[in-house]
Amino acid sequence: MKKIAVLITTPPYSNLSVTALDYVESALKSSVEVVGVFFYQDGVIHANQQAQTASDEFQCIKHWQALQQRFKLPLYLCITAAEKRGLSDEQPNNIHPIFTVSGLGELVELVNKADRLVQF
Amino acid sequence: MSQSLMSKSLISKKLPKLTAILNSKAPYSNSAGKDALDIALIFGSFEQPTSLFFQGDGVWQLIQGQNGTIISVKDYLKTFAAFEFYDIENIYICQESLIQRGLTADFHIEQVQVLARRVFAEKLATHHTVLRF
Repeated sequence: MKKIAVLITTPPYSNLSVTALDYVESALKSSVEVVGVFFYQDGVIHANQQAQTASDEFQCIKHWQALQQRFKLPLYLCITAAEKRGLSDEQPNNIHPIFTVSGLGELVELVNKADRLVQF
Repeated sequence: MSQSLMSKSLISKKLPKLTAILNSKAPYSNSAGKDALDIALIFGSFEQPTSLFFQGDGVWQLIQGQNGTIISVKDYLKTFAAFEFYDIENIYICQESLIQRGLTADFHIEQVQVLARRVFAEKLATHHTVLRF
């Protein structure tokens, strides 16, 4: 079975993030193993619990949460990129609990585990 | 047929995975170059074979004589001098991108290899993973 890793560099208000979600969902539903999704650059904004998306717009984080729960999909957050954007694992209600706080070393791991990496 | 395919995949698993970091943005208007540099240094410190590619406006990151501090940007380009300590020795730049911008091969680090577009693309294709910034 093919294994893929995914790198998200775009914020939740970017349409590319929706494309990424569609891609990951299709992969999981086709029994492709997704070894993990790594959030870097503006991708880390996904993890901000305080960020609000208008109710008539696409709710990225709800969809990631559904995938994470249904497929036990690991979502990794680059903490350096996150702290730069006001996120902190030392504050309550700040980083969404579906994310695993990690660093770029995790990206090295994912690249090594996966047959292919797809970047958005 | 299936046996030869199997042995092929076994061999490919034993070889270290080559990672390419493709830089396509100019250095100061956003943090793409710095974000790519951070990844390069982490991959280097984890002893992952890593190559750097510079293409399009990314070629500006290698040009000699820049000083980001004049415009209050941290001069991350200085850190490029540390690549050899991280065993990052394969640094490639696209010749056509230089010519399009009227730039000469005058770089602030050594060991940069200027490659014609086709060779540049072929070299990139030999890598297992490409990260683009």
